[in-house]
Amino acid sequence: MEKSSDFMLYGRIQQKDKAALEQLYDRYEKILFSFLVKMTEDPDLAEEALQEVFIKLWRGTGEYNESKGKFTSWLFTMSRNVAIDLIRKRKKPMVPLEEIGDLVNNESTVEEVAEWQEQKEQIETAVQELSGEQQKMIQLFYFKGYTHEKIAGICDIPLGTVKSRIRLALKKLKKSLHGVQERGAIDD
Amino acid sequence: MTKMNCGHVVDYLNGTLSDKEIREFEEHLKTCADCQQILELTGELPYLAEPIEPPAEMKTRILANVFEEDAGREQQPEPKTAAVPMAKRMPKRNWWPPLIAAVLLLSLLGNAYAFFQLSGQQEPETAMQEVNLQPNELFEGAAQAKLIREDGSLDVVVSADGLEELRGDEIYQVWLLKEGQPIPAGAFKPNPSGEGAAYFSLNENTEGWDTIAITREPQAGNELPQGDIVLSSEL
Repeated sequence: MEKSSDFMLYGRIQQKDKAALEQLYDRYEKILFSFLVKMTEDPDLAEEALQEVFIKLWRGTGEYNESKGKFTSWLFTMSRNVAIDLIRKRKKPMVPLEEIGDLVNNESTVEEVAEWQEQKEQIETAVQELSGEQQKMIQLFYFKGYTHEKIAGICDIPLGTVKSRIRLALKKLKKSLHGVQERGAIDD
Repeated sequence: MTKMNCGHVVDYLNGTLSDKEIREFEEHLKTCADCQQILELTGELPYLAEPIEPPAEMKTRILANVFEEDAGREQQPEPKTAAVPMAKRMPKRNWWPPLIAAVLLLSLLGNAYAFFQLSGQQEPETAMQEVNLQPNELFEGAAQAKLIREDGSLDVVVSADGLEELRGDEIYQVWLLKEGQPIPAGAFKPNPSGEGAAYFSLNENTEGWDTIAITREPQAGNELPQGDIVLSSEL
């Protein structure tokens, strides 16, 4: 249901339907903004990235089709790449974390938090099943967008093995998450 | 030719493959459960982020910029001649013309397009006043208003956040007052996050307003306020 309606919205966006873009924006604003703030540690830069994402969607660059997997996977991956580009271009110093409170307000509706919280708890549990090094891999690669060279340096591993270690960490995490979700389903 | 395989999933995620390689990898993806699962995971990883409430006006800003950027690509703006610059320069990071444009685009006003055109071109002869509305003692929310004088018209854009939820037919109504006499100047219902925005345009009687206020009205369409003032400011 969710998937097909995202796909439908995307189709309408390609027909330059402004209302469809707005609907898609409403649907993903919060998760994308939160994700982009986590990546950039800078709400202004996160907003810039989010704007770029929607400009890309509106222009139809980097077109989505079903061979690219789920729409959300594609959207999040595209957003991540936009953020990485901006992080690498960033010249200004980062906003200290304690100042972020002024730029955003943290009031969420209880319902929203509950829904997000469940998803977050599941993936956090799954993350905890990874080794310390694997967790670091995902943090540095996925959220920080570090280059393989930088990751090799930080983790003190040969450059040639970075890619395969990232892949293994992601694979392991997906497996753990699957396990967590199944356990959750049984508990219910 | 390099055969695309599981080893390329990281490059695929990083967007470093050529178009041809992307197509080849997507062929590989069709038959590789491991890579499919990694891709699926990227639909879930962002939920590790702490939920952060987006800034109240971000949506209007972003959508305005997206649509404006698009309009700009389709037609070069004509240079504006013979405009008498009026009043102050706008701040460098000026969100308001896009905001106004967005309010218009997002609203159902019929003349949205015409104004969008105007707001994109006429910065030099636009005079603006921005005020923060103060909440009454019992009210939690906050609002900002921007009054834009342009070519004999007065446009009022109000954006508010942290608003209390409304019940039934209630609505937040914006008023302009002159010596205690109000006229309605836009109304809105907040979204579930307590944010709302209103746009109003006056073509006559644009001068002399001394107060802007927002009331919580029992229903839309009142010509005179029935509800209490929740936010207000002198002009």
